[in-house]
Amino acid sequence: MNTLVLASSFTDVKPGLIIWTWITFIVVLLILRKVAWGPLLKSVDDREKNIVNAIESAKRERSEAEKLLTEQKTAIAQARQEAAEQVRKTQAELEKFREELMGKARKEADDLKAEARRTIDEERVKAIADIKGEAVRLSLQVAEKLLSERMDDAKHQALAQQFVTDLSKKPSA
Amino acid sequence: MKQLWTLVVAMSLVAFPAYASEGHEEGGHGDEHGGHGEPKDKASESSEFILHHVADDTEFQFELPFVHLPAIHVAELFGAEPGQGLYLEREPGACHKPVEKSQEAFAGIFKFMNGCWDLRPTKAVLSMWIAMAFLALVLFLGRSRDQNGVPRGLFANLVETLLLFVRDEIAIANIGKEQGAKYTPYLATVFFFVMFTNYLGLIPGFFTATGVLGVTIALSVITFIMTQLAGIRSAGLVGYFAHLFGDVPVWMKPLMFLVEFLGLFTKPFALLVRLFANMLAGHMVLFFILSLIFVVNIGAAAVSIPLATGLYLLELFVAILQAYIFTLLTALFIGQGVALGHHHHAEGEDHAHH
Repeated sequence: MNTLVLASSFTDVKPGLIIWTWITFIVVLLILRKVAWGPLLKSVDDREKNIVNAIESAKRERSEAEKLLTEQKTAIAQARQEAAEQVRKTQAELEKFREELMGKARKEADDLKAEARRTIDEERVKAIADIKGEAVRLSLQVAEKLLSERMDDAKHQALAQQFVTDLSKKPSA
Repeated sequence: MKQLWTLVVAMSLVAFPAYASEGHEEGGHGDEHGGHGEPKDKASESSEFILHHVADDTEFQFELPFVHLPAIHVAELFGAEPGQGLYLEREPGACHKPVEKSQEAFAGIFKFMNGCWDLRPTKAVLSMWIAMAFLALVLFLGRSRDQNGVPRGLFANLVETLLLFVRDEIAIANIGKEQGAKYTPYLATVFFFVMFTNYLGLIPGFFTATGVLGVTIALSVITFIMTQLAGIRSAGLVGYFAHLFGDVPVWMKPLMFLVEFLGLFTKPFALLVRLFANMLAGHMVLFFILSLIFVVNIGAAAVSIPLATGLYLLELFVAILQAYIFTLLTALFIGQGVALGHHHHAEGEDHAHH
């Protein structure tokens, strides 16, 4: 065979081949679109949608959980704060109450002390007045005795002694 | 992109042992041809074999080293003689009329115009069908999923990874979120069709249908139609034609129309030539390098086998790369068509697209 003829054989265009290529291609296109690409692309789309939905719902749930967590944290912090406040308030009240109680007790004690001191003072004044009266009375008696009776030195001495003893005895009597 | 690389590496590992037999293939056939015909020099014999291997034919011969399998006469199953089955003739004898010397490069078209309507499937068509059978098998094996619809197993993951790659990186990235999803089945079919056809050709013994001009022309025409339909559907018939004249002063409109009109065809033309040339050239270079063993001497094997192995691995990458590029550009053109509809709504976007 002539090489030139052979060389031209691959530039040769056969209309029959073109038509058969069209037929083959279109048949393959129609079959694959129905049997392969359609179902495949649909399943991929479904899967993509599922994944997107799953991601979205996960995000939503997460944000919800985060919101709940924040709420919980706030609630706990608030409760803690309230408890602390309560303790503080109670302590303050207790302190105040104690102060009050102490004040009252101190005042009462002071009052009692003042009362006692006043009573003592009064008693003392009264006692001093009594002693003064008694001393006057005794002096009068001594004077009386001295005037009515004559006594020797020994007798004077004993009498004076007696007087002093009586004097010291008298207030306690 | 990372998944794509993993895939390429995985495929290379699978295909490499199979390749080992390809080096011998030519030896078997080289002897064959030499035995039957008159003595020839080895260089032209090799090139004849290579050109025969990469060109479309009415019969398909599964090439094995040292074994000569009977050829499958694909075309003859649909009509052995002109006038039978799909081997149509406008008038009796039209197919026996030889084409003129100047028309030889495109003999198929001229024969068709002369009234010889040969619509029988050929080697390329059979290859496409085998490739599609492999595709069906992979999709069938890749149907296992768990109850959540998550793919299970190698094939299911492979198919879904590639499909989602087409949807997200090709369709939606170039056409837009809403419209992109609508074109995904079409783009996925283009991608898998081209990829499987390319890969079938890399299995030793099989034929690369995408290395035949007719196949890539057909695919480009489909892309062209889809692109124009996308434009018309998006902008309306009036908007579509208005776009052909562009936003230029009136006196420039005819010139603009010429440019835009040519542009409509150059885009798919570049697409069809790129795929065709890449697939054809890769196979031819691979074979030429290997044929050095027979043309020069057996010592050339020391150079040509490592070189051809490297080239084969490159071809494994090119096969998916070309499928990707073809699909990507198709998506890009459709995206441009879809964008036509936004011209009336947003003038600012108009400039962004062109």
